[in-house]
Amino acid sequence: MPENNVYDAIVIGSGISGGWAAKELTEKGLKTIMLERGRNIEHIKDYVNATKDSWEFPHRGARPTQQMIADYPVLKRDYPLNETVLDYWVKDKECPYTEEKRFDWYRGYHVGGRSLMWGRQSYRFNKWDFEANTKEGIGVDWPIRYDDIAPWYSYAERFAGIQGTKDGLEVLPDGDFMPGMELNCVEKEVKQRLLDHYKGSRHMIIGRSANLTQPHNNRTNCQYRNRCWRGCPFGGYFSTQSATLPAAMATGNLTLRPFSIVTKILYDKDKKRATGVEILDAETNKTYEYKAKIVFVCASAFNSTWVLMNSATDVWEGGLGSSSGELGHNVMDHHFRCGANGKVEGFSDKYLYGRRPTGIYIPRFRNIYDDKRDYLRGFGYQGAASRGRGIEVAEFSIGAELKDALSVPADDWGIGITAFGEMLPYHENKISLDKTVKDKWGLPVLKMDVEIKENEKKMRIDMMNDAKEMLEAAGVKDVKTYDAGYAPGMGIHEMGTARMGRDPKSSVLNGNNQVWDAPNVFVTDGACMTSASCVNPSLTYMALTARAADFAVKELKKGNL
Amino acid sequence: MNRRDLLKQIALLTGGAVIGGELFLTGCKTGAKADAGFTAANISLLDEVAETIIPATSTPGAKAAKVGEFMKVMVTDCYTQKQQDAFVSGIGELDEACKKMHSKGFMDCTPEQRKALLVSLEKEAKEFNQKRDEADKPLREEHKKKNEALAWKDQTEFEGSPSHYYTMMKQLTLLGFFTSKTGMTETLRHVPVPGKYDGAFAYNKGDKAWAE
Repeated sequence: MPENNVYDAIVIGSGISGGWAAKELTEKGLKTIMLERGRNIEHIKDYVNATKDSWEFPHRGARPTQQMIADYPVLKRDYPLNETVLDYWVKDKECPYTEEKRFDWYRGYHVGGRSLMWGRQSYRFNKWDFEANTKEGIGVDWPIRYDDIAPWYSYAERFAGIQGTKDGLEVLPDGDFMPGMELNCVEKEVKQRLLDHYKGSRHMIIGRSANLTQPHNNRTNCQYRNRCWRGCPFGGYFSTQSATLPAAMATGNLTLRPFSIVTKILYDKDKKRATGVEILDAETNKTYEYKAKIVFVCASAFNSTWVLMNSATDVWEGGLGSSSGELGHNVMDHHFRCGANGKVEGFSDKYLYGRRPTGIYIPRFRNIYDDKRDYLRGFGYQGAASRGRGIEVAEFSIGAELKDALSVPADDWGIGITAFGEMLPYHENKISLDKTVKDKWGLPVLKMDVEIKENEKKMRIDMMNDAKEMLEAAGVKDVKTYDAGYAPGMGIHEMGTARMGRDPKSSVLNGNNQVWDAPNVFVTDGACMTSASCVNPSLTYMALTARAADFAVKELKKGNL
Repeated sequence: MNRRDLLKQIALLTGGAVIGGELFLTGCKTGAKADAGFTAANISLLDEVAETIIPATSTPGAKAAKVGEFMKVMVTDCYTQKQQDAFVSGIGELDEACKKMHSKGFMDCTPEQRKALLVSLEKEAKEFNQKRDEADKPLREEHKKKNEALAWKDQTEFEGSPSHYYTMMKQLTLLGFFTSKTGMTETLRHVPVPGKYDGAFAYNKGDKAWAE
């Protein structure tokens, strides 16, 4: 460790964005310390459940226990509460937060963050996503356009390893992909029927994802186990551990410090620059300071903003970046959990081999080109066709007859699609500090005040009905719609609270992710998002982080920081 | 077939969501007992009940998959106290019903007699659960109305009356067997590391299904 805890750069957080920041900064020669609030998880060695089969878990990974439900008051609200991955989620009770309105906050506090458990769907925003705010008078204008980020998408895709097909769609720009995974026989048929029915205006493609289809950088290609979220012993999907951390370590410039809760960014108000950070050691409760020329804040959207809110409060009561009046505001997520499913006849001589870790994707078709709805923006669908198990048996059958019937595949295939919709940035959807509640370390917690509004509610009707209409148009039988209900946060795509913009009066960050009031502080995770698009956001964080790191090092060399 | 699909299938086959560890949004005050009171004799009986539902054929059945022990673990760890009580007293009720039908306990019956009992319990459970649902319906509605008048964090979950004990036993038999080593690898087919994907894999009638 350098003397006096002095580095060239500090990276707060080690998830998707933090890992990218560490890789880029160290590869450009900066001595960097990456601070992670939780424990270390070593690649492969610490993926303790990665190769276990169902019968090796006491409850077969099928149902949570009453103890788990009592211990995890937030995690229990949806699928993440599962004994196969329990160690990867934050202990809710140690890290409470206040819900002015219901907000489901699923967090991973350890090295790698949620890059270990993420859904891996990887899509580019399109050119309209960056223009919609200004055209429609929503929020503020993005300070960048698609062309500004496009080369960085390519850069991120090439390193991360994104499989997908080039589909030539303006609404979902192609990237630098590895060969795409295969649509199964039913998906291919449904894809074709949709093309025919909608005269080429609706597309079903393979879900583009950060799973390798070829060996890449000492990582093995996907083995089709579909157990990604337990950690992959093959390095088959992109995570901090499989990809960015080894690259950063290989430079010799990285120091990784787990159990380091950053409590504030240290700010020199005369120079208008950050000088470093203060941390609380999560194990010893001791306080340390680290100094650096630049700070990358990548602590996950809300925690990045939490750090800013606790920094430079002697200058701005609301913290660093609050002079805009927008710090903590404009929370976004993707709203989902509605769609349709049904069965597909005529493929009983076909089955599947292998467990593909991605599904299909139907890119947005609403409010583009000539389509005009009574709400703004749109949604895309994720889903899959598969062949379940069990043929029909007479009522009340048990014994050998039942066993045999459940031992073979169902006659028909099933297909289901779920919509993911864009949520607009509303100023009044906000997070703030709740100083009346403290976490395990005595630190103030966040208070969430977020809801979906009319635009999203109108969109949800289309999200459900369009699913049914498309499946029926494709000949799917017994189509049933559903809306399983959505609470903000369930998408695990928290965005906003420190948005990028063109004006320091209405945004926290500029077009290079610099805090307007502290140009050597860069926020490049979900906090920086000015709008949400309807596509999964992580690839955009990777691209923005790499772009900002490139800018930061150039500015540093020019002496501007 | 992933875990979620398996749970859905069991729900379809038994006429209700798989019991235990329901994902409740709000407060949890079920006070499940750490020791639900299972005896070794209970486990043996549950093994035989499970074996009657999923018997050994050309492949091992539920008893070989130790489904009785699995039921104990699931009921103890995942069920609420009300559900635990219904399950444990159900073990005695099942034996009583057997004595009524065959004039001897379940353990002393032939496989045919056991099967006859369970088929009758299938019907009884279906009727029982339907009546329970009807009885719970107004209570559920009332609870919902009360909730709607409350701030979301003061809302509570409605815990209905437990299902028929046989429904619980059947659900746990299917879940336990098809996630066991023998169930997954002998009755079904299981490839831990497939290595590739084929979306149009040839299927001949009678080929076993994949375990996951």
